[in-house]
Amino acid sequence: MNENFRISQKIGLMFLPDSPIPNDIKQWATQQLQSKSPALGIKRIRSYHKSEVSEWPKSLQPSLQKRDEMFWAFKENNEKFRRNMPGFQTEADKSRNRQENLMEDLDALKFAHRNVYGEDQLRLRFSSFWANHFRTANIFDNGNHIGHAIEEAILANINSDFSNMLYKVTTHPSMLIYLDNIYSAGPNSQEAIWAKRNGRQAGLNDNLGRELLELHTVSPSVKYTEADIKGAAKILAGWGAEPGRISGDQLISLSERNRKIKEIGGTLNSWDYFKTNYAEPGNKTVLGKTFGPGKPALRQLTDFLADHEHTINHVTFKLAQHFVSDNPSHTDLDHIARIWRDSNGNLDQIHTAVIELAIASKEPKFQWPMNWLFQVVRLSGANGFVGWEEEQHDDYNDNIMRTRKIFEELGQGFWLPGQPNGYSSDKAEWLSGEMFERRIRFATSLYNGGFPTQGVEDIMNRIGVNTVTRELVDSVKGGRRKFVALMCSPEIMGLENA
Amino acid sequence: MPKLTRREFLKASGASLFLAGLPLPGFTKDEPPGTISVIMLEGGMDGLTAVPPFGDPNLFKMRKSLTPENYLKLNSFFGLHPSFKYFSGLLAKNNASVVHATNFPYTKRSHFEGQNLMQGGGLSPFSETTGWLGRALDLAKTPGRSMSLDMPLLLRGAHENDNFFPASIRNSGSLTTDLINMISNAHAKEGSSVFNKVSKKSTQKDSVVPRDPASLAKYAGKAMAMESGPLSSVIKVDQFDTHASQGADEYGRHGERLAIVDDIIAGYKEGLGEAWDRSIILTLTEFGRTVKENGTWGTDHGWGSAALLAGGAITKSRVISKWPGLAERDLFEDRDLVSTIDYRSVCAACIENALGLEHDLIADKVFFTPNLPRVYDFIFS
Repeated sequence: MNENFRISQKIGLMFLPDSPIPNDIKQWATQQLQSKSPALGIKRIRSYHKSEVSEWPKSLQPSLQKRDEMFWAFKENNEKFRRNMPGFQTEADKSRNRQENLMEDLDALKFAHRNVYGEDQLRLRFSSFWANHFRTANIFDNGNHIGHAIEEAILANINSDFSNMLYKVTTHPSMLIYLDNIYSAGPNSQEAIWAKRNGRQAGLNDNLGRELLELHTVSPSVKYTEADIKGAAKILAGWGAEPGRISGDQLISLSERNRKIKEIGGTLNSWDYFKTNYAEPGNKTVLGKTFGPGKPALRQLTDFLADHEHTINHVTFKLAQHFVSDNPSHTDLDHIARIWRDSNGNLDQIHTAVIELAIASKEPKFQWPMNWLFQVVRLSGANGFVGWEEEQHDDYNDNIMRTRKIFEELGQGFWLPGQPNGYSSDKAEWLSGEMFERRIRFATSLYNGGFPTQGVEDIMNRIGVNTVTRELVDSVKGGRRKFVALMCSPEIMGLENA
Repeated sequence: MPKLTRREFLKASGASLFLAGLPLPGFTKDEPPGTISVIMLEGGMDGLTAVPPFGDPNLFKMRKSLTPENYLKLNSFFGLHPSFKYFSGLLAKNNASVVHATNFPYTKRSHFEGQNLMQGGGLSPFSETTGWLGRALDLAKTPGRSMSLDMPLLLRGAHENDNFFPASIRNSGSLTTDLINMISNAHAKEGSSVFNKVSKKSTQKDSVVPRDPASLAKYAGKAMAMESGPLSSVIKVDQFDTHASQGADEYGRHGERLAIVDDIIAGYKEGLGEAWDRSIILTLTEFGRTVKENGTWGTDHGWGSAALLAGGAITKSRVISKWPGLAERDLFEDRDLVSTIDYRSVCAACIENALGLEHDLIADKVFFTPNLPRVYDFIFS
């Protein structure tokens, strides 16, 4: 591939058919970090023609409070189904309840649209990196939050500091729910005392405390102890609002629900929700540092962890392995870590350092299934995902699968169940016959049903494929087979050098 | 870790044990004698819920809401979770056993280090790029298959491994072998060898299989029963990480996962057919869960757990355990069930049984632990 496309493959999502190719790719890449864009997408698919791209409607991007209320309504309605109440009996009623109140499918589509139609390709790639680093998954009650976390805690803070992003993610309901923090109560909290008195149960849950240290910041290399994890869990105790129903056997109105929520946490904002009754009184210690009681301790903890030398080394390695090389060199790692320290964790400067190293290294990077799919769709101008109107009304195009199904079949997606360590950036984790077979199938499917606007020859000329790719495509007969061969070539998969 | 003796095994097993004279050392046969299948339980399976030691008075003191009331009594000490309906039948037929208070010698409670160790079988987390089963299959020069989209570390390193997970992608038609071969030829190294596997698979006609774990197990069993089929397979079940609202019975969060394991074992039995008689299936989990229930009706990461073994290779059902006790003073770091049986020994015994490799060779080349205790007779005699 020519240098422009080599770089846009490695750290971006490939240039769209009608977007201009920059003169200075390095300058373009660093400027990309600032290229904010609203969510772009398509309303409906147009077969045989380019679908019309426009901004996602505001009505399909509800606020966090609205999302919380929708999820509450969904669960409240489920209770009405359980009671067989009028209007809550048929499959159609059930499907309407899901459509009106659950956001996960639309959010997943918006994420896909951004990646397929967005001009802000570098920001999106970094955003996916961080969404994976801070993986939250769709377990139980989290469907309405994951998309909001990716947009508002990650993408909206992509030009901020690591410490800020860390705090915003740690306190986001998507994380607090996913890692079970919402019920955790300090062992000496008011709630635990009451519970004991009444024969109920309340106490600490160390899930988020552990992953905050192990995965998000310092990593096991710092040799933390169980006491450190407990310390972090005690600081976290009290954070998070319960999603869904909060009224036991009773059905209540939205205003009653909101009154109760406000009574427990002092606010309707589930992103700043701290239940004093659940908080552990007194000082806590994590990795030798003492933190005082109350809500501010969490910000102090995340700031302390964000600056920690082990965090810098751990996250630097992950960044370098994702964007630069499967086995990043010590020189590269030292460089990023130095920029991190010198800039106090400024993400623009850290990302710029990563971009420069990714450009300097000629090593190809194997592309994740989802990024490969986005890139193939962008290069070919095919329709890869339905429009929001089609997704919203279950009005599916015959040719294109449901968004949820696409990610399931790819074996990768932020709305699938998964573990908090996220997807590996190491090629070795993706070498499997079934994974590779999916690439052949998706390429075939896009050609058959996605109506690519760009011909194989045009794509090859535009990106400047290498001789291996050209010989492969030339040796194959038929439009579909040539398309599949190109998209599954080592070059487009990121397996070998351009 | 306390050293394990045969006497202690016997004492705690709570089941009669047939004792033969000292066995002859294992020997390599021309053909591996059996099949070995692994069910990986991801997230940390709670051995105290799966196989509740109701005879330990501390169980109900430490856990209020996590023990099913309708457990099946296996003996005077251990019970079996009601989700294991099929498995309990195998126990009755002397085709299954339980190992309790066991795990890999890893006590740091990280999912990801633990999962790496239970699959890699190395001496420290992330030290190996191949898996213990892969290395064993490589020594036996026999292929293995994973029923998953990815190729788990567990099977990597095998002389020939592949995976299977039925695709369902609209408009993706049938795969043509010559196109895949051309793509494979254009790739170098890893890429080429992986596409080769796709090419081989594309010639198989039986790829329409439902994707539920039981159907996958049945499919794997059928494949293993065939003349030149793989001798090993792997299936993964996730979401055992029940920090909150774990539940107790078969309708609880943990109980539902256990029922999936039960279905998988039933699926294997059906698929294996006559090959069942020379088969062994074993579970793996990265850690057990805390003995004491946490503040959110769940459990946190622990150490020792229970393991299920099933297959016709077992001819006498037992609960194999050197019970460490649940009193606070008996727990590891005041919170976890101690693992008194190194689970690597159990894995080694299953390899020895299925692949006909000598224990010493397995200990050295598969687990890098030449003095790994041999527990074969406790399981297979």
